[in-house]
Amino acid sequence: MSAMKAVVVESDILSPFGLGVDACWAGLLAGQTSITGMSRFSTKAFFSDYGATIPGLKYHEGASLVTQMLTTLFDRTAAKIPPDAKLMLASTKGEIDLLERFIITGTGAADESTLNNLLCKVIDLTGTTGGGMVVSAACTSSSAAAGRAAAMIRNGHADCILVVACDSVTEFVFSGFSSLMALDKVPARPFDKNRAGLSVGEAAAYMLIMSEERAEREERTVLGTIAGWGMSDDANHMTGPSRESEGLVRAIKAALDSAGIAAGQVSFISAHGTGTPYNDAMEMRAFRSVFKDRKVPVYSVKGAIGHTMGAAGLVEMAIAQRAQQESIVPPTVNLIEADEDAAGWVSGQSRNIGTNSMALVTNAGFSGVNTALVLA
Amino acid sequence: MTISVRGIGWLTKTGYGSIRTGAQHQFAEGEGVHSMAKLGTFSQPFKNFGRLDRMSRMTVSAVALALQDAGMEYSSANKQDMGIIGTSRAGSLTSDIDYFKDFWENGRTLSRANLFIYTLPSSAMGEAAIHFGLTGPLFYGTSADGSLAGFMDMAVDMVVTRETGGMLVGKIEEEEALYFLVDDTEEDNVLCSLVEARTIVASTQDISDILRQLSILKVKKGIV
Repeated sequence: MSAMKAVVVESDILSPFGLGVDACWAGLLAGQTSITGMSRFSTKAFFSDYGATIPGLKYHEGASLVTQMLTTLFDRTAAKIPPDAKLMLASTKGEIDLLERFIITGTGAADESTLNNLLCKVIDLTGTTGGGMVVSAACTSSSAAAGRAAAMIRNGHADCILVVACDSVTEFVFSGFSSLMALDKVPARPFDKNRAGLSVGEAAAYMLIMSEERAEREERTVLGTIAGWGMSDDANHMTGPSRESEGLVRAIKAALDSAGIAAGQVSFISAHGTGTPYNDAMEMRAFRSVFKDRKVPVYSVKGAIGHTMGAAGLVEMAIAQRAQQESIVPPTVNLIEADEDAAGWVSGQSRNIGTNSMALVTNAGFSGVNTALVLA
Repeated sequence: MTISVRGIGWLTKTGYGSIRTGAQHQFAEGEGVHSMAKLGTFSQPFKNFGRLDRMSRMTVSAVALALQDAGMEYSSANKQDMGIIGTSRAGSLTSDIDYFKDFWENGRTLSRANLFIYTLPSSAMGEAAIHFGLTGPLFYGTSADGSLAGFMDMAVDMVVTRETGGMLVGKIEEEEALYFLVDDTEEDNVLCSLVEARTIVASTQDISDILRQLSILKVKKGIV
């Protein structure tokens, strides 16, 4: 049996810019940031006051933040999801606000906050009956899930997988990143020479991934192809990336091999680009190692929507696909002066690229995890 | 290519051991998972074992036993192309409670990074990756029915398609942990076939029951 192509036939996101890829894309191209002073909870004890939240969500009232986000997201798309789709849910902390509420007020139960519990809710919300699983790998969660979904389709184990991703800005995660001194005091500035940390963001996203054969049979519009994937671990440090970048280099090379393309065929890179000094330096070292002197256009969306944690990969894949469709690489918002090692690779302006481009999407996270995906 | 199960390590509230070697040890009074670093479980010193959360201690202990069972040497200095998938229903719930209660009881002003790092369900696998030098794919998973079978399929796929050279795939529930080492190996070095292992993990979610069935299988196959 020949390998089956994994194609994306539906995708949507809810980001701090609002509902839809259009809203996020417009914000990016306008060079806007949705990172603002936090009002959801007091940040006076924390390292930063800035985060990117979705307006209108209720905190510690009724449903969890991610359930509210996913309900909004699937309200307009439920009809497009085939009931027999397998579900792959990606998140780091899911409904952790339910645990906060339990500890603060005694309302509910602690185990309502588990990812396993959220999985059952998302199965109900999406009406999928093909079986469900959670994939959680820190801030690579949703890119890892998308890669596994594509692998299952290529290897003939499934022909329709719904990947759903979500994470929210809570006092739990904000205080945690603050304790690690990972937050910038101002909105995140990925790849800037004065960058000093990340801004926490929140998002929900989904991608419906099918075999090419099924997409053709159902006359689905193909938005793009997940052509290759690579996953690796630094095996080095729990919270910091390897300074040698060998883990991300391995993931990128695996993704290029999996896609059957050479490094020279990559048209642009959607980087993880958190804005922390170590992450961005690690990524640039990896890019230089793989692409040598060819300065491939690189951007990060995290100056615009913050670091959406487990949802970051899927949101960034959706934006990268839009970049491919529009033949435009979006700007890195909040970039004022590129760090020396990123100069010529990143830009605060949008850039035109050719048609039929190949995108590389990279993500990294705690425990030294790395993912790389090639989108065609 | 012959993908097989080469080693299985396990840990319960009362003891620990491995399937192929048949090693089985009972905890003495006062011993438990917190004692594993002192009981000769690890072939190299485990720096800071005491600061790991319970899920991480159980994971690294069961992984060490699975590697031992397979006769595989390891070193954090000599990294190996092997990945790890860990599953459990509760994920990082215990560490989540520990972190946020501590933060709350400290007046919502002091948050502890050393507690926060274990609030990711994949952190236990991260500790294993660092100690055993595992550079392959790593993630936490859970399925609606709590079964390990789907993740075992994924692990096997990764080895078959040469995404990685081998995979550790395991399950932790309550006080019990179980890890399988799956790789492409010589026929005479095999504990059981994948089909056999998958049939067992798909038949029950109970770790003790999986262990019992694996032990019966071993006897049937005449592995001593």
